[in-house]
Parts: sequence; C-alpha cells; structure tokens
Amino acid sequence: MESWMMAIAILLPLVAGILVFIIRQYHVQSFIVVLTAIILAVNSILFLQQGPFTYSPGGFNWGLMVTILDYVILLFYLYVGISLRNWLVLIFALTQLIPLAWWEFGMKAHVELTPAFVVDHLSIVMTLVISIIGSLICIYALRYMYDHEHHTKLAKSRQPRFLFWLVIFLGAMNGLVFANNLVWLYFFWEVTTLCCFQLIAHDLTKEAINNAARALWMNSLGGTAFVFALIFLYVTQGGAEALSVQNIISGHITGAVIILPVALLCFTGFTKAAQMPFQSWLLGAMVAPTPVSALLHSSTMVKAGVYLVLRLAPAYAGTHLSTIIAIAGAFTFFAASGLAISQTTGKRVLAYSTIANLGLIIACAGINTPLAIAAAILLIIFHAISKGLLFLCAGTIEHQIWSREIEDMEGLAAKAPLTTLITTVGILSMFLPPFGMLLGKWLALEAAYMVPLAAIFFVLASTLTIVFWTKWLGRLLQVLPKIGWPREKLSLSYSVPLWLLLIGIFVIGMGVGPIYQNFILSATNNVITGNQIIPIGWHSLILTGTAFVEKGILGIFLVWPLFLILAVALLLPLLFIGLKPKELRPVYLCGEQTGDLDTDEWLAEADVKTKFQLGGYYYQKVLGEKTLDPWVNTIAIVILVIMLGYGVIIK
Amino acid sequence: MGLIEKSRIKSPWILHFDNSSCNGCDIEILACLTPLYDVERFGMVNMGNPKHADVLLITGPVNRRTARVLKNLYAQVPDPKIVIAVGTCASSGGVFHNCYNVLGGVDKVIPVDVYIPGCAARPEAIIDGVVLALQKLASLRGDKK
Amino acid sequence: MIDQLITVIVALIVAPLIGGLLFGFDRKITARLQGRYGPPIIQPFYDFFKLLGKQHIAVSKLQFIWIYGYLTFMVVSLLFLVLKLDILLLVFLLGFAGVCFVLGAFSTKSPYAHFGANRELLQILAYEPVLLFLALGVYAQNGSFLISEIFKQDKPLLFTLWPLFIAVLFILTIKMRKSPFDISTSHHAHQEIVRGTVTEYSGPYYALIQLVEWYELVLLLGIIALFWTNPLWVGILIALGAFILELLIDNIAARLTARWMVRLSWSVGLVLGIINIAYLYLTKGVA
Ligand code: SF4
Repeated sequence: MESWMMAIAILLPLVAGILVFIIRQYHVQSFIVVLTAIILAVNSILFLQQGPFTYSPGGFNWGLMVTILDYVILLFYLYVGISLRNWLVLIFALTQLIPLAWWEFGMKAHVELTPAFVVDHLSIVMTLVISIIGSLICIYALRYMYDHEHHTKLAKSRQPRFLFWLVIFLGAMNGLVFANNLVWLYFFWEVTTLCCFQLIAHDLTKEAINNAARALWMNSLGGTAFVFALIFLYVTQGGAEALSVQNIISGHITGAVIILPVALLCFTGFTKAAQMPFQSWLLGAMVAPTPVSALLHSSTMVKAGVYLVLRLAPAYAGTHLSTIIAIAGAFTFFAASGLAISQTTGKRVLAYSTIANLGLIIACAGINTPLAIAAAILLIIFHAISKGLLFLCAGTIEHQIWSREIEDMEGLAAKAPLTTLITTVGILSMFLPPFGMLLGKWLALEAAYMVPLAAIFFVLASTLTIVFWTKWLGRLLQVLPKIGWPREKLSLSYSVPLWLLLIGIFVIGMGVGPIYQNFILSATNNVITGNQIIPIGWHSLILTGTAFVEKGILGIFLVWPLFLILAVALLLPLLFIGLKPKELRPVYLCGEQTGDLDTDEWLAEADVKTKFQLGGYYYQKVLGEKTLDPWVNTIAIVILVIMLGYGVIIK
Repeated sequence: MGLIEKSRIKSPWILHFDNSSCNGCDIEILACLTPLYDVERFGMVNMGNPKHADVLLITGPVNRRTARVLKNLYAQVPDPKIVIAVGTCASSGGVFHNCYNVLGGVDKVIPVDVYIPGCAARPEAIIDGVVLALQKLASLRGDKK
Repeated sequence: MIDQLITVIVALIVAPLIGGLLFGFDRKITARLQGRYGPPIIQPFYDFFKLLGKQHIAVSKLQFIWIYGYLTFMVVSLLFLVLKLDILLLVFLLGFAGVCFVLGAFSTKSPYAHFGANRELLQILAYEPVLLFLALGVYAQNGSFLISEIFKQDKPLLFTLWPLFIAVLFILTIKMRKSPFDISTSHHAHQEIVRGTVTEYSGPYYALIQLVEWYELVLLLGIIALFWTNPLWVGILIALGAFILELLIDNIAARLTARWMVRLSWSVGLVLGIINIAYLYLTKGVA
C-alpha cells in the first residue's frame, strides 16, 4: 500500500509526462492529465488518512540512478551555460559538479540511508498542497496553452513538451518533501530547478531564455550551497548518518558544528524561495505562460524553499541563526510589499506579493515558536490556494484582454464580471479578515513579538500590502453607469479550477478551527516539539469549551461568524440591491459631460469632445525598483553575509 | 409633519451655480456664509457637488454655453430639489437681456421655484428666499417632481 | 451571554447617538471659533434624516455593495471594542472597513472619487501601522491582545505607552479627516477636489456614510479611552480631551499635502511606536 502510494506520488507524474510527450493529440493529452490530476489528488488524501510512515524503496539500485541523473542534470546545465554563453550558469554548474564529483568519487562517499523517505504531517500538508492545487493548475494549463498557441500562432505545437515538464514538476516536488536522505533531496531539488528552467524558457523568446538562464544560475548558486552543506556534514560528522534530515532535526547531531551546514541549507532555501536579493529570478519567470507562474508560485518551486527552511527549524532553534532568519524573512516581506506598490503589471504585483508572503513564512520559521510554526504552515496552505487562484485569474484576464498591464484591466468588471468577481474574492482573501491569509498573519503577529524587529517589519509590510492590493482591485472595479452585466462564458478547463479554488478558499477558511486542531497542530509538532499554546485571541476562532466561556468572551465564537459578517456586508447587497435605470446618473464632471449616462467624454475648451482618462498611482519615483533595488539588495546581502558569517564563526 | 419633512427644512444644502453673472450676486451669496449672516445656523451648507445638494442657487443669466451645464447639474441633484434664481439677471436676464449670447432667465432652461430680485440681491433677501423655498421643499416628496 | 447581547444592542443604538452629537458639537465649536453662531447641536441628525428622505440616485451598483461593507465592518469593529475582544483583529477589521470605503470610491469612473480613493489609500498607509503598533504595545504591556485584559490591569496603559498615545493622537487627525489631514474628503463645505471619496454618493447612501462616521468616531475615542481603563471615566475624559484638541487643531491648521501626511506619520508615528515597543521589550523582555 505505502509503496504504491509513494510510487504514485513520485513516479506517476513521470509516466504521465512521458505519455503526454509521446501522444500528441489534444484530447488524449487532456484525458491523461485530468486522470493523473485526479489520481494524484486522491493519493494525497490517502496519505492524509494513512498518517506518518517511513519507507525505503528496494528491489532496484535507486541510489545509483539518483547519482547518475544528478550528473546528467548538471552536465545539461553545463551545456546550457556553454551554448548560451552565460558564464554565471556555467560557473555555478561547475561549482556543483566538481565538488560533487570530488566527494562522491574522490572521497568515495556512499550514502545509503534507511529510511530513504519519511512521511510526516508536515510532508503530508505539503503533498496535499502540491497534489491538489498543482493538479488543478495542470488542468487549467490544458486549455490555456491551447489558446496561447492559437494566439501566438505557433507553427508546431510545443504543448507536449510543456505538459511534460509541468507534470513532472509535481512528482519532483512530492519526492522533495518526502525525502529523508539529503542526497536524494538534493536530486529532487535539482529536478525542480530543471523543470523551472525549461518552463520559463518555453516560449523561446530572447527574454524568456535570458530569464530562464537567470533562474538557473540563481538556483544553481543555491544548489552549490546545498552541495557544500552535504560535504561539510559528511566530513565533520564522519558518515552517511549525518545526511539524514531526521537526524539533523531531531538533535542527534548536536553542537555548534551543525550551524554552518544548516545556514548553507537555509541559504539554498532562500534562493529557491526567491528571497531578497534573489527576487529577480522569480520576477523574470513572469515571461512564462501563466500556468507556469501559477505552479511556481502557489504549490511548487518556491514552496520547496520555504519547506526546507521550515523543515530545518528545529536544527537552528534557540540560536542566533534563528533570529537572523526571522529578520531576513521579515525584511523581504517588507521590501517586497513596498516594491509591489510601484508595479504596473498584474503578474509582477502577484510575484512581489509571493516573495513577500514567502518572506513572512520564512520569518515565522525563524521566530521558531510553536505558534509561529503553526502560522507558517497555515500560511503555506492558504497562500497556495489564494495565489494559485489569483494567477489563474490573471491568466484568464490575459486571455480576455490580451494584456497583463493593470491599466488595461480598467473597468474589467463591466467586460468580464465573472472573472472580476472571482479575482476580487481572490484578492480580498490575500489580506483581509476573515480569510485564511489574514488568520495566518494574525497568528504570525501574535508570535512576532519574540523578535521585535521582525514584528515591526510585519506591521509596516501588512500596511503596504493593503495599499497595493486595493489599488489594483480598484482599477478592475472602475465602471461607467450602466445597468446589467454581459454574460461571460469560460471554458470548462478554466472554470473548473477557478471555482474549485474559490470554494477551497471558503471551505478551508471557514474550517480553519478543526483543521488547525486536527491537522496543523500535528504538523507543527513534527517541526517543533513543545507546548502548543493557542493564543487567547484564537479562542474566538477555535472552540475550546467551557474554560473559554468563563473568560467572559462572547460565548461560542468560531471563525464562521466572521464569514457571516462578510456575507452580510458584501454578499447580501450584491444579491439584493437592485438599481433601476431611472436612478442612474452620470458621474459628476462639473456638468460638462456630453449628454448620455455612460459617457466618459466631456466638453473641454472650445467645446471639443474629450475623453477623460484615469490612471492608477504607482509612486514609481519613491517606490520604484530603480530607487529601491540598490538599497534593498544591499541590506539583504548584508543580512545573508551575517547569516553565513555567523555559521562560520560559531564553528 | 414627519421627521424627514422637518429635517428637510432644517438642513438645506446648497449648490451655487454661476451662469454668466457679473459676480455681484455671487459675492452676496458668499456674504451669507460670513459671521454676520451665518446661514449655517439654519443648517445651510454650501456644497460643491450637485449630488449632495437640495437647493440650487443660480446667479446670472443663462447663456448658450451654460444652458447645457445647468441642465446637467439639475439632473444630478436628487429629488426633492428646489431651484432659486438669485438676482434680477437669473430671474429674467436683467441688464443682459437680449445680448447676442444670452437666452434669458434661468426659467428658460429649468423650472424655477423662487425668484429673488435685486441687483445685486441682498443677503437678507437671499436668506428670505431660501426660507420661502424650504416651505415648498417640506411639502415635496422624494419621488415626485 | 445575555449581558453581552445587551451590550451589543446598547452599543449599536447609543454609539451613533453619541457620534452624531459629537459631530454637532464639532460644528458648533468650529462656528464659535470662527465668530459665528453655528447650527444646532443636533444638526447632524437633521442632515441624516433629510438624506434618508432623498431620492436614490446612483452611478453604479458596485459602489453600494462596498458601502454596506464599510458600515458592517465598522460596526463589527466597534462591537469588538465593547465586547472587549482581540484588539489586533479589531485593527484588521477596521482596515477592511477602510478598504471597503476606498473600493466604493474606486468603483465609479469619476475623477473626483478616484482622487479621493487614492488619497484615502495614503491615509490608510499613514494610520494603519500606528494602530498595529498600538496593538503590539498592548501585547508588550499585558502579554495579550485581549481588550478585556487591559481592563484587568490596575496601572493604566498611558504610563508605559505614552509615546504611542501621542502617535495615536496624531493619527486621530488623519482618521477623523480633520485639517491638516482632511485630504481624501473633508467635513468642510469647500474642497478643491469636490468631495473626494464621497463625491458620487448621494441621498440615503450618503446618510449611511455619515452613520459610519459616527460609529467610527466613537470607536476611535473608545480606543483612546483604553489608555486609562481603571477607572474608565478618566479614559473617557482623556478621549473627550483628545477630541477637543482635534477640533482646535482643525481650526488653526491649514491642509498639508498627502505626501507630507505620509512622511509625517511614518516618521513621527513610527519612531514613537518603535521607541515604545523597543523600550518595553528591553525592560520587560518577552511577555
Ligand atoms: S443681478 Fe446684478 S449683481 Fe446680480 S449678476 Fe446680475 S448684474 Fe450682477
């Protein structure tokens, strides 16, 4: 049973990927992808039911295969570096390849570990996110790529190749979150980097290739740190046993000597999670077709980064490294939120928001109290759902107006009401109560006082968050006086993932109490053992019985009353307020509008009809990338240097 | 008299629109806001926005250019509303009567409820006119007119 | 449970009465300061009922949805205060109310509302961090975000949180939209951007906005009263004092630009907040 579940989670995507690559018919491909998606989702739920277990595959020399594939991938990077004449790619491929070869062949390191895979609650949370949300995005990609190729008028369809990498990605991610053997983890890590590279480069424009190369070298830099951490652990601890994730985090290896490799691994996590100063690869990844962005941002790739940092939390608990990580994450949260305000492209706003929220999650890991870890896990789940939804919305919008610019989305509510509605809920769910992201943020703020500097960054960043989301939403909603909405039809491949994710936001948001108790708490216990203190404020969300009524707080007050309030506030008016045509008036233009109701023309001087235009504010002089990037990157680099320097000194 | 009707008398918000007056009447309207006359004691407030106004105070004769603007503004004032023509010009065209670009008094374009004569209309007269208008306002219903 | 229900109902009814009277008082004081007689103190209620009786006119359906959200979330924030629940969530809910207000203005293609909305966003940017810092300060002092916990303490918050108190006074001006920060919309008749955020609301919906403002005023003064909860009447007096101080500032100050507002509040408010929290952290450690 367990071996089957494992095989499905990791190998089925590979098989499906190869199948869609060979079979080039749209319908057959769709069938395969949808089937894989369903199986993966069901499989992940089985994992949930099964609970934690350990597993080591037998019958085949998997270790050898991993080693061989490692070198294949690295040699491919070398090839990419040479063929693109991109020296950074080349250098960082070599810095991985040479030490690895020296270690494995020169030192004859042989790492064979049992168990090779450890499934615990944290991995189960991750696999649920990957398998369900990732699968939905793959389904979405089917139709999206069809439209995309139609629009770009490609001669020969590259869709099979695209789907191949997309589906494999899920398998690699599943492997990554289950792996206990650090060498295998490294292998899956490299596979995700490879998939990411291939998907970003998919359109084969100059920009796409450049950005893909940037993603590649930055992640290879992270990979290099990973390799060094491996070797360091192996050498100083004298053996393969040191390369088991469980051993590292359960305190079997103690003492200051572990700090440096852990710091290196966290550095690797930072690169993958696109933390400052590595944000540029994720921003560059925006050139890829939108499903890729959705996948990278919500359920895969960047989540691997935060997973690694979170996973290692016990290893650095109680050290200054923990505080430094908290500050680094909080700083990214703050800086990325600020930069998001100046972005004029929808997808870039989303990208900065992702970077910011990953920073928040990493900061929570750094704060390293049970509460903060719980917040981090909650945020991973909610962020995956909301961000997945928002990217799919961005893709849908893009395929309706063929633009990614926020200014072009002006008045979308009048053109595509359904998409706008879903986008609105998605955006609101990112930063407002009672939605999950805010609950996570709330928990994070309650925990943040441990590291006051992080708390200050949290406060500033959450304010900035309000500004950039509201600003964008405002552009969508800007409509002229008109009665009635046009009917909007979405293809099934678009609407099913959209609606499912939308429902997911509400179901998981409302069920946060039970989910927290049954699910997050045990996942938190996997990361950090200690007393589970639920903050008192949260008693209002989680039913804790009589003790709580005695405290004199309003009786049984779960999170759903907040949803009820939301419904009263927005849903009821939406459904029940009618507007009669005779009640409509044009907007106030000093009486100079040209007659009709839904006019945006007025008579300027000499009675010339002039269309007035409104634009969003982006504050680019103050908050633009040109102004802020040098500062932000400098500070981030300083923090990273301190982080690694601390590891070196402690040793 | 119901609560809403009473409130209507107690809280007339004014939109002041100048067609093409000589600015004499406008200055008198502003004089009403000064401490000497202080119309705010009657709850009168000068609004810059037709959507918030109850009373349109119009000065000067209507000309070809302003007629359209006046109509637009009038349409944007929610019912019940009252139009007051302030000054001789607004009432009939006054000294501008028969000018090449002048249509005449405000009532050439929109229905007027109260005429306040005078060149310029004195603040006392304006206040008196508004009070007169309020009595009419109280009897109006929201959906009529 | 019954007690709480009664509290809720009383708060729902009494808060707007107090808020409306305070606004009437505001207009009276302002008039007196300008050498005028001023409207009766219950003038805001006349305005409110008159607006209720006016015709519904509208620019788009969307703007109403958001205005109901504005009302609901403001009321819920107030209930969080009177029921002595979590102050952090209160600030977040208040933030939602603010966002609804902005979105209501954004949902019309009106240049004036658009101006107002963008400026209101800057106002949020200016006041939100200070409110969040206040919540953090309360946590630092009491080890809990619960308002009921504040009431249990003998020592008033004002003693340890006085820098934050000054910061909150500062943002009270922004939140009440009084000069020098009446930037997004103004209570005074004349306004160079017509009426900013509320330009496109009229009749009953404008009345609704006034209602929200009353609730908001009571909520803000209530938050200020939290600085001295034992006995509460001292806190209420402090809040009223703060209100009168705001009126005074309103009448003697000219308007600043939005940019200055953000600069000032991010420098003054944040510095005070950070100093306060750093001080508490250093003296008390982690609660
Ligand atoms: S009535 Fe007299 S004062 Fe008034 S606008 Fe006409 S000319 Fe000027």
